[in-house]
Amino acid sequence: MTIDLEATGLSVRYGGNVAVDGVDLAVPTGRMVGMVGANGAGKSTLINALAGWSRGTPVVRGTVRLGGASMDGLSPHRRAAQGLVLVPEGKGIFSELTVMENLALVRPPADTTGRHLFSMEEIHELFPRLAERRHHKGGMLSGGERQMVAVSRALRAAPRVLLLDEPSAGLAPRLVYELLETMRKLVDRGLSLLLVEQNVRATLELVDELYLLERGKVVARGPAAAMKNDPRILEAYLGSLTA
Amino acid sequence: MNILQQLINGLVLGSGYALIAIGWTVLLGAARLVNFAHGQLYMLGAFVAWAVMTKLGVNYFLAVPIAVVALGLLGVGLQGLMLRPVMQQNLTSLMIVTLGFGYVFQGGAARLFGGDPERFVSPLQAAEIRIGEIWFTWQDVLTLVGTLLLFGALWLVLNRTRVGAVVRSVAEDPRLAQLFGINAALVYIGVFVFECAAVALGAGLVAPRSPILTSMGFDEVILTFVVVVLGGIGSVTGSLVAGFGLGLFTALFGALVSSAYTTAAAFFVLLAFLVLRPRGLAAR
Ligand SMILES: Nc1ncnc2c1ncn2[C@@H]1O[C@H](COP(=O)(O)OP(=O)(O)OP(=O)(O)O)[C@@H](O)[C@H]1O
Ligand SMILES: [Mg+2]
Repeated sequence: MTIDLEATGLSVRYGGNVAVDGVDLAVPTGRMVGMVGANGAGKSTLINALAGWSRGTPVVRGTVRLGGASMDGLSPHRRAAQGLVLVPEGKGIFSELTVMENLALVRPPADTTGRHLFSMEEIHELFPRLAERRHHKGGMLSGGERQMVAVSRALRAAPRVLLLDEPSAGLAPRLVYELLETMRKLVDRGLSLLLVEQNVRATLELVDELYLLERGKVVARGPAAAMKNDPRILEAYLGSLTA
Repeated sequence: MNILQQLINGLVLGSGYALIAIGWTVLLGAARLVNFAHGQLYMLGAFVAWAVMTKLGVNYFLAVPIAVVALGLLGVGLQGLMLRPVMQQNLTSLMIVTLGFGYVFQGGAARLFGGDPERFVSPLQAAEIRIGEIWFTWQDVLTLVGTLLLFGALWLVLNRTRVGAVVRSVAEDPRLAQLFGINAALVYIGVFVFECAAVALGAGLVAPRSPILTSMGFDEVILTFVVVVLGGIGSVTGSLVAGFGLGLFTALFGALVSSAYTTAAAFFVLLAFLVLRPRGLAAR
């Protein structure tokens, strides 16, 4: 089993506040890895650090390797160009640009080794609604439609590893499953995927492996089947309170 | 007084305002940046063209493109120096830094070119066209047509090409653009170079109307600020309309009331307008 994305000793702090503390993580080729944890556990900070990106000014330590090549010190647009593609939490598309313009901003790379290419036809097959909406501005779309554009944009960039931070936020429960199942299909075609999700139940159904993050540290990790029975997961996420 | 003549004067004046403002408009709209050295860049554009003409004997039609390229290169250097505050969108720092650049340019130009008024002459300035009582020069025609072509081309590039979409994406959210694989720093440099080159073109076409001075920077562009704000900050079409509107207003006010108070009157109109329509002409 080859590792597509690997982080070792990753730490991120904002000023004196340590948000991610010495995390080791690996996304094997063609696998779907899930990451769950409470609000503020550091999930977004971690996934952003993998992409070398942030809206704040964090200090990042540790190493990130994509297919064996070091990403350290590379700016986010360089990492994206090499196939480490992030769909961030929240705003993921441009509201002043039409759906088509948003998607046309990214170009498939010249060198496609290890990359997963998606044609516009395939994207319209995955998200038929986008074909109808292609001349609408991003700001005129519903939350779910925006998420579809954000994910489509990432696919058009021909990812090697796709990083998704809560792609289902704000979606209707039926759509959450639909979107995550679509992602699973892409993984089955060979894509490597790291998924941050609030919906632990849905995540556990679909991922190969799960990480549990607490206060910036990985407190549990393992195959999905085993994690289903982990007492910490059961107690915090699969108890009677969760949907 | 001939009203048709004043309308023509207004259109010519207005095209000059719009042309000088276009760089600022794109900088503000496309990059959400400011540059308070705009007026001194205008002055430099005029003096570079003048110096190339008088010292090197180059003709006007080559001197203006040379000034445009020279200012474009200066833009690369300036943006390189300012890249940090630019990437952080630190407008306060940029305001101060660009004001500082303005003073440096003004002082440098005074040392280099002297403090006396110089005649920056376009051969088209003397080529007059008379139709009955109405007259204008070929320079006026060139300015008007050049402005319309530049605005048209710019509109097409910004709204109909991928490069335009890239610029608009960086304007909206430079951080997000990075995730789309866009090098935002490069886009900022491009926009800044456009501003410098466009103001040099504006100077090349408009400055021959009167003697040029190394201290003229601020006065010559003060009305472009009105154009940029009236047009709805960052709107290309808005600033074209505002430029013509202001030109017509200035010409008619000057002819009907008093030319001594036109700048004050223009700012009064701006104030009144902003009370009614705080986001300018382009606001939806
Ligand atoms: N831009 C920032 N500047 C300063 N501190 C930040 C910033 N972003 C996040 N933090 C802090 O880092 C910690 C982790 O936040 P993060 O957004 O990574 O959590 P999360 O696990 O993604 O939470 P959620 O489930 O709510 O999305 C929090 O304590 C938060 O306050
Ligand atoms: Mg988060």
